[in-house]
Amino acid sequence: MNASSLGPITPPTLTSIAPIEKPARDQLDLGDSFAHALQEAHATEQRSTHATEQFAKGDPGMGIHEVMIASEKASLSLRYATTLKNKALEAYRELMNTQV
Amino acid sequence: MPSMDFFTAMEVSASGLSAQRTRMNVAASNLANAQTTQVAGGGPYKRRDVVLTSVEVPGTRNTPFAQQVKGVAVSQISQDAAPPRLEYDPGHPQANAQGYVAYPNINPVEEMVDMITASRAYEAGITTMTTAVNMAERALGIGR
Repeated sequence: MNASSLGPITPPTLTSIAPIEKPARDQLDLGDSFAHALQEAHATEQRSTHATEQFAKGDPGMGIHEVMIASEKASLSLRYATTLKNKALEAYRELMNTQV
Repeated sequence: MPSMDFFTAMEVSASGLSAQRTRMNVAASNLANAQTTQVAGGGPYKRRDVVLTSVEVPGTRNTPFAQQVKGVAVSQISQDAAPPRLEYDPGHPQANAQGYVAYPNINPVEEMVDMITASRAYEAGITTMTTAVNMAERALGIGR
């Protein structure tokens, strides 16, 4: 058997492996949208706290409806973030229950 | 952020609520001063009127048809130029040489109508707001 008839073993190089296609940055994945939603929820929560403080301090520019609206916005944003999280978890569990 | 578009209706309603609150304040001021015969600048109190103008709603620039969706704001509070109501009361300290006292040009009935209109408009704004919140909640409940 002629060993030279076998071609040399070429280990795969970094460039020979096709890079994993990352989604373009203008596309949001679920994690990103959850992060955004969480940031939004945090921001609205802070605005709500600020509005409550201003109202308690007696700021004449802060009406009672503004306080209620701020807190309602915070509540909605948080519910939005929670819903996204639940959807993501649901999808993950669905995949983990795949029968092989 | 487009995903938060359900806040647009809330922002618009909120601007309306603020404007109606100002109208309410002005109506209260007019009613309270219906008998005020002397103000800091001299003369009787003059009836105030709220001038409303449509404004761009903050934080909605990227929402659909943002240019067409307008909030409302009080652009100024104008003073009614109508002449004061003269009443004959020679004993009054503010009576003029002919014995007439200048009372504000305020018709309490008109002010009551203004007040009720402001109150109803405020209610309408709150209904809009509640409906917008309910829509958002219904949307979050899709598939549940």
